[in-house]
Amino acid sequence: MRDKKFLGDVAMKVRNGKDFWAGLMFAGFGLGFMLVSLSNYPMGSAVRMGPAYFPAVLGGLLALLGGAVLFRAFVSRFEHPLKLFAFRLPLLIAALVIGGATYLADSQLKGAPMAQFALAGLALFLFIGAFGPKSLFLILFAVVIFGFALKPLGLVLSTVLLIVLSALGGHDFRNKEIVILTVVLVLFGVMVFVKGLGLPFNLWPGE
Amino acid sequence: MDFALIHNLSVGFGVALSLQNLMYCFVGVLLGTLIGVLPGIGPVATIAMLLPVTFNLSPISALIMLAGIYYGAQYGGSTTAILVNLPGESASVITCLDGYQMARQGRAGPALAIAAMGSFFAGCVATVVIALFAPPLAEVALKFGPAEYFSLMVLGLVGATVLAHGSLVKAIAMTLLGLLLGLIGTDVNSGIARFTFGLPELSDGIGFVIVAMGVFGFAEIITNLEQGASRDVFVNKVTGLMPTWKDLKDSSGAILRGTALGSMLGILPGGGALLSSFAAYTLEKKIGDTSKFGKGEIRGVAAPEAANNAGAQTSFIPLLTLGIPSNPVMALMIGAMMIQGIAPGPQVMTERPELFWGMIASMWIGNLMLVILNLPLIGIWVKLLTVPYRLLYPSILLFCCVGVYSLSNQPFDVMLTALFGLLGYVFVKLECEPAPLILGFILGPLMEENLRRAMLLSRGDATVFFTKPISGVLLGIAILLLLITLAPAVRKTREVAFQE
Repeated sequence: MRDKKFLGDVAMKVRNGKDFWAGLMFAGFGLGFMLVSLSNYPMGSAVRMGPAYFPAVLGGLLALLGGAVLFRAFVSRFEHPLKLFAFRLPLLIAALVIGGATYLADSQLKGAPMAQFALAGLALFLFIGAFGPKSLFLILFAVVIFGFALKPLGLVLSTVLLIVLSALGGHDFRNKEIVILTVVLVLFGVMVFVKGLGLPFNLWPGE
Repeated sequence: MDFALIHNLSVGFGVALSLQNLMYCFVGVLLGTLIGVLPGIGPVATIAMLLPVTFNLSPISALIMLAGIYYGAQYGGSTTAILVNLPGESASVITCLDGYQMARQGRAGPALAIAAMGSFFAGCVATVVIALFAPPLAEVALKFGPAEYFSLMVLGLVGATVLAHGSLVKAIAMTLLGLLLGLIGTDVNSGIARFTFGLPELSDGIGFVIVAMGVFGFAEIITNLEQGASRDVFVNKVTGLMPTWKDLKDSSGAILRGTALGSMLGILPGGGALLSSFAAYTLEKKIGDTSKFGKGEIRGVAAPEAANNAGAQTSFIPLLTLGIPSNPVMALMIGAMMIQGIAPGPQVMTERPELFWGMIASMWIGNLMLVILNLPLIGIWVKLLTVPYRLLYPSILLFCCVGVYSLSNQPFDVMLTALFGLLGYVFVKLECEPAPLILGFILGPLMEENLRRAMLLSRGDATVFFTKPISGVLLGIAILLLLITLAPAVRKTREVAFQE
């Protein structure tokens, strides 16, 4: 309980939520890059710099700047709320359950790398959905689905998937319009990308 | 007159006037105008999208087309700014102020004509500026060693952070993050794969198209959708293009000043079209009769339009002579050159003169095309604006996805782009300007390489960066820039300037 009260007090004192999260992000990236380089790659010397030298120094600097931004969040002249992102608990729980299960079942899933991959991806998307707006989740989802569907399903069907999913990410979904748009873009894609530019895409599944 | 210059330019025009290159120049400026007109998609995303397509072109055609997109976008952006008060391109934000007012007073025609004429004049001058100043600068650059290059890149990055929007600390942090992301992949010296998490797909590093497309393209679509921006377009009628004699007299000085300012600011690291147009407008507001600004002053259209076009073009100078990009579009141009197997730098001018001068000549031709093309086509561009965003963004998305996928024909790249889209969204939310990140990303490996070489040559003596004269001066300027920006007085005006 005390911990929770402490965190609450800190949250109260944050004046600039944007600086707060940005500071955490920079510090996290900086420390991450620094620690990975220091623990995995040879440092070398100033004369003969090893692969760890430059990233470790940069990472350290970035972490310091992150700390400065974090500090500024408490004294900033600008005020922004701490709560910048959405928070949907059910999606977060689902993400953690699926992600955790995938991690724990690592040995059982070794035989099926695709299943493992798909589950991890699902967990990631649920995680994004837990914090971001609908558009963020659906647009990125549409993009990734397109990437994975292009080879097995062909250009036509993956374009349909991309357009419909991304249109769902907007505010104003109009059935008739989306059908027309999809048809136009499929035709355009086939004519320009495959016939015109000669990109090596198959049009239909299993070609 | 300099005889070599005439010879060089004639070589350039010979290349640029070939039927094929004229065609690609035309495609480039047309596409550029198109995306300049359409809000929500800028030159960075478009060039990133088209990079894979340029694989199959000859290097000169590819560069001519991509350059055309950039300066074409400046023309297109002004059209919508004047007619419907929508800046199609960020550099034309400032043109809305007086251009739209002119349109509401029924003077859209003269505003558009002056914008086009100002842009054309600025484009011509900037072409000459490049032709005159690039060769001597490249000559200096040929004498650069690793220490000088390292300091130059530091200066470039500092310039980009100083000129970025918002907080300076965040901009520096974004630069560092970009440098670090650029280091992902196999280290050239030791052959060790760094930060790849064992993924073979990452061993060649992250393609910068992926970063640019994710951070600029996807993130922009997502935030546009989240804000639910609905656009109501009220188009003002265009009647009579010809400006009056008084318009011409009023704006000629503004065009001259805008061109001069834009040509200078374009060369600066971090400079380019956006900064130039803002600076030119601010300057005009301080000169002569200022009572009409914001109420349809023609000088308020002429100066920023001339400046943004001049700035867009002279920002090619650091790229062509030093191989250092001054803004994200130039970073993409470096990528385009590398795809074609050309190492950007001072040697391009001597080793591939047809490439260098052909591109410069094409800029002048492209500007001419834009003037001829733009005024009669205004009706079509305005029609395009009525296409709702809900139909536009799925189409943009399709282009982006196909572009990214065709980089290596693997779903992995598409997934990585989505990841950078997520990161880009977070950046927007946290008010972290992504432009310095992209510059850092491009320069990361180059900087490390030059740092290593310089330190090896100096036997680990870091003072070499200050004791070598050119390097010392460059670093001195960088430090001075940072100090000036941190000075309280400048900080205040900077905040005001970016809020306007």
